[in-house]
This record gives sequence, structure tokens and C-alpha cells, in this order.
Amino acid sequence: MYSGSAKERGRLSWTPGAAFAALLFGLLGAFAPHEAAAMPQAAAAFCSVYPEAKACASGAAPCAMCHTTPPQRNAYGTSLAARIAPGQPRPLAVDVFLSGLRDALKLTEQDDADGDGFSNISEIFAGTFPGEAASFPVSLTCKPGEARQASQQRWNVCAYDPIYAFKKVSLDVCGRSATRAELSTFQGLASNRKRWEPALSAQLDRCLSTHYWLGKEGAVWNIANAKIRPSHTVKAGQNPGPVPLADYEDDFNLFTWANIGDHDVREELLAQYYVKRVSDDPVKLAIMTEAEVKAVSRRASQNVPQERRVGLITTRWNGAINTMFTAVPRTTAAQAYRAFLGYDIAKMQGISSVPHEPIDFDAKGVQAPQCAACHATLDPLTYPFTRYNGIGRYNYEAGRLQNFVRSDGKRVTEAPENGILLGHKVKDLMEWGQVAANSDPFAQKVVGDYWKVLIGRDPETHAQDQAEYTKLWQGLKSPDAYNYRVEKMLHGLILTQAYGRP
Amino acid sequence: MIRHPLIVLAALFALALPAAAAAAGPSEVPRNSLDPRVKLKDGDRYLRDLSAQLEIPREEICKELLQYDCFRDAFRIVLGGVDAADLGVNEPLEQEALTAPIALDRVALRVCVTRVERDLADPKHAVLLRGAGPKGTSPSPAWVKRTVQGLYDRILARDATPAETAQLMGFYQKVSASASPADTKVKDWVTLGCFAVASSVENVFY
Repeated sequence: MYSGSAKERGRLSWTPGAAFAALLFGLLGAFAPHEAAAMPQAAAAFCSVYPEAKACASGAAPCAMCHTTPPQRNAYGTSLAARIAPGQPRPLAVDVFLSGLRDALKLTEQDDADGDGFSNISEIFAGTFPGEAASFPVSLTCKPGEARQASQQRWNVCAYDPIYAFKKVSLDVCGRSATRAELSTFQGLASNRKRWEPALSAQLDRCLSTHYWLGKEGAVWNIANAKIRPSHTVKAGQNPGPVPLADYEDDFNLFTWANIGDHDVREELLAQYYVKRVSDDPVKLAIMTEAEVKAVSRRASQNVPQERRVGLITTRWNGAINTMFTAVPRTTAAQAYRAFLGYDIAKMQGISSVPHEPIDFDAKGVQAPQCAACHATLDPLTYPFTRYNGIGRYNYEAGRLQNFVRSDGKRVTEAPENGILLGHKVKDLMEWGQVAANSDPFAQKVVGDYWKVLIGRDPETHAQDQAEYTKLWQGLKSPDAYNYRVEKMLHGLILTQAYGRP
Repeated sequence: MIRHPLIVLAALFALALPAAAAAAGPSEVPRNSLDPRVKLKDGDRYLRDLSAQLEIPREEICKELLQYDCFRDAFRIVLGGVDAADLGVNEPLEQEALTAPIALDRVALRVCVTRVERDLADPKHAVLLRGAGPKGTSPSPAWVKRTVQGLYDRILARDATPAETAQLMGFYQKVSASASPADTKVKDWVTLGCFAVASSVENVFY
């Protein structure tokens, strides 16, 4: 098993291409980063040597395999770099580097680069990081004698403990401790899985309808905080701030709607409607009619026409706080990439460079080598956002970029509406939303958000979590399992060992 | 406000803890978790629980300076909450704040003081301090034991173990040896007994 803080590492481990900058910058790039950036085969080359490694589940190794903060190398990266084509002048040619990398990987397999007592190769296959001493394989399996002893203790730390899970569900989802009467009833069922499992599930269902879970500033609402990033100062609508620009409650309501009941969580990125909170206690949400949408006061109105709406990424709030006055709203795209797909470009996550990018239509200097490493990914995924106005009009406007010629130069109008997301060409933001919502990273992010709330850590932190986590996010996508229903997925989550073993 | 003798007694009680814990014996020491990931019951849930357990309305249970809600207005972030719209704190702190134990102790003591004050003001509907006998007299050991059981039953939803019962009963002996009037001793003991259970690891983490 794996221990250590691995939030970023975990994200990267699922990022095709995220590792490029790592192996590039690190193994060659410390000397000539721009030349390294032209060699995206490095991460894949690592995985061609170790296709069974956990870090290669998506085909490319994560940055953290060899780096601390790229281009800085960790102990493993440093060890590798020294063994790649020794004696050859740096920077290395691509083919020399790739053949040298293969040899260097093999040569260092039995070394223990980070000195944590485990060989590099054992860490690679255990899913831990050979260059980080705090990350090493540990066992979560009890020996037979321990298991027997543990089963007689108040907390059975060697197995799923239904009473422990019952207490946790009450606190995590109902927001209160189970009463003695509830516990007493449940304890009577705890010896028979056929009896306790439905009772646990029923408790979860009861809790899922509580104000604690669904209400304003409740658990689901708070999961959306980092995605919506509310700021009372610029809030419009009810309880407005001093500079009312937009009402983030529309966003929270839509998010909550997509995450509850029998609703499809992809509506976060697909909905072409808005949701109103009819009452907060008890919580009652409803889709607004278009007449209701049009009737909202001008100060908080949603102006994007229905056929151009793309869930939470085209709301007035999103435009107000992310796009603001920018022609090519990279902040908006980067926030969507981070919030809904789990990739934080500022941390070199989700890097998947597009050839011949960035073009720099708005003359921001992003072709500089130190910028291009990220902007070759960021800019193509930003173009579909360029037709949506931020502060002021908050609407869709096909010829929007004409308004920016004076500030961003003539070429800004050449920025296309189509773009590239996760390696897929998308013709506009609606397709962007479709590709994102149906992607693996979206399902991973949805499950990961709830995993963190209920289990208390990121799913990637523990290698033995991987099987359970993977089963959950794949189940979220599967029509035969959870079919994008969050509440169904939560019924699976509370039955995991990660949740129910004390 | 919290009175000085109460603080002295709290310190006394804290000193008594290790000995009592040791008395629990190795058979009660559970095996360590292979995957420890204990979570803090944040201030919202902590007060929600105490509100139900001690029968004090949530809006009245804990007021700093008698006017600010202990969680929402005073210790929100410190006690694991978030405040996205006003403070930009979108998620609970990754690690509990250094001041969290101080805030939590303060909240627990405030709640217990409130409960006992209410019990004294309205004995017919008392929750913790009830049936202690005629004013000015010392309560019986049976009453002390019953009160200990009541604290564990209400706050932790379980029976007190013999060791836990002995611990709090022993603490009563110490309190009763003080020179305070009998009624004060009982009041202080119930308040601090409540505080001890309400601020226990078991009640704060899960």
C-alpha cells in the first residue's frame, strides 16, 4: 500500500500526457526545456517499459514519477537522468534520449532511489513513487491471528465493520450521530449481511434527503464551492453584495439538482436549463420554465440562449468571475478543466500538448517556451469559450471577438470556436461539454469529490483504494451500475473497505 | 462566565485522567487501525449533536460573549467549517488548526455550563443535574453513578465502562473534598463530568 500525500500525483497518474513535461523537462529539460517540450514520447516510453505499472493505467506516467515540481527532479528522476546516454552531450536528441531512457529504467530497477527501503521496481509495481521517501508500499492485510483478535475488539480493524459504517453514514450524510435507539436496532442486524446491508442502505437514503445534505451550505453545496467559487461581494439576486454582478445560487441549485435523486450528474456540464430552490427546509428544487428564466431581473438574468447553454460553464456567474473582460478566457477554461475534470494546469496536470499550438491570437506572448508547455494544451481547450461574454452582456455572441481588436489586436478575430479537449476535436462549447461529461476524468472527479468527503482523503493516496475507486467511477459511467446517478454510487461507496473498515 | 474554581477543578480532573486510563488494562486497548483516517466532527455537527443530546435548542446552545454563535460566527473555520462566499475558504482546512482544541474545549465547557444552569433554573425539566437530593446535602453514591451513566448514555450513546464510571466517581470524591458548599460541588462536578465526556476523543472524532 501506498502512503503519502498524493493529491497531485494521483491526478497526474490518470493524465495522458501530463507526464510529458515531467520526463521531458526533467530528464532533458533542465538543460533545454523547449527542446524537451518537443518530445512528448517520454511518458509513454516509460509506460511501454512498464505497461502493468499502476501509474500507467492511462498510458502515460505522471510527472511525480520523476519530479518534484517540474522541471526539478526527484531522487528517482535524478538517478535516471545520470544514466541516460552517459557521456553524450546534452541536450540529447530525441531518439538518443528514448533509447537511453529504456536502458536507464532497467539499470535502476534494483536501486532504491529515495532510500525508503523499497527498490524502484517494487515501488513502480506497487503504485508508489520511487523518488519520494514518504511514498512506499505498506500492507493493509491483517495476519490470521490479528484478524481473529481484531474481530473480538470493539472496533474490528481487519474487516468491514457495519456498525462503524452505520455511525459514519449518520454523521457524514445526516450530519448527526446515530441515536442510541438507532444503534441498538442496527446492532441487532449486524451479524447478518443480508439484514444489515439493506438497513445501512435505508439509513443512507434517509440521510440523503436531509437539509444537512441538500440544503444551502449543506454537504452537497459545499462540494460545489471549489467549482463555483462564490463571492458574496459580487452576488446578485437575494441577499446581494455591494457590487452585484451575478447570482451564484443559480449555479449551486443546478449543481445540487444534478447530484441528487435520479438525476444525471453530467447535467453539470450539459444542462440547458436552470434550477430554482422552491424551499430550503425541506429542500425542494425545480427546473425553471423559460418564462421564469426570462422574468428574472436584469441584474441577475441568465442571457445565454437555451440552445447555447452548457450547464455550469455558461452561467452568468461563471462568466462574471472567470471570463470577466477577456477575449480568450483561459481562466474560464482552466477553471472548468480543474473543477469538472480534476486537472489543474497550474500544477502541470492534464497537459496534452496540441501540435502547432499555442498560436497566440490575442498577442499575450504565450508562445514563449516557458509558457507554451502549458498553453499548447490550455489554448485549444479555451477557444470554444471565446464566443461567450463575461461581465456586461453575459451572453453568446458569434462575432464577439470583433469587440477585442483594439485591446488584443486584429488577429484575435481569427481565434476559432472549435478546439481540442482531452485529445478530441470539438466544434464548439456544446461539444466541449459533451466530451468532458462523458470522459473518464469527469467520472473520476465526481467520485473523487465524494470519496474525499466521506472517506476523508483523496482516493489515490492509498494504492489499495485503487480497485474500489476504479470500480466506483467506472460504475458511475456504466448504464448497468450507477448510470451517472450520484446517490446510487454513494450506496456503493459506503460498502467499500475504505469506508467501512475502522 | 466560567468561574475560577471550575478551572481549577478541570485541571484536577485532567491530572486524574492518566491513572484512570491506565486502570483500564491492556485487554481494553484496541489493536491499531491499519489505515487510520479518523475525521473531526466539525463544529456544526458537534453542536448539532450536543443540542440533541443535552436538549438545548441549537440556536441557544453556545454563544460567545452571549451573542455570537460559537460555530457560525466565532470558530467556524477553526472547527472544520468552510466559508466560501465571504472568506473564500471553499474546503475545510487540510489539517486541524492549532487553536482547534482550545476552541473545542471552550465550546464544550460553554455548552455544559449552559445545561447545568438550565437544570438548576428549572429542576422539573432538568437533564443532567436532577434528583440530587435535598439542597445542601451530599448526593448518594448511587446518584453519582446514575449521573455518570446518564452522561455516557446521552452524549456517547452507550453505557459507561466500569473503568469510566470509576474514573468519574473518583473525580466526584476529589471535588467533594473541597471546601465549597455541597450544592456547588455537585454543580461543578456535573458540569465538568459533562465537559469530560463532551470533549472526549470519542465524541469529537469519528
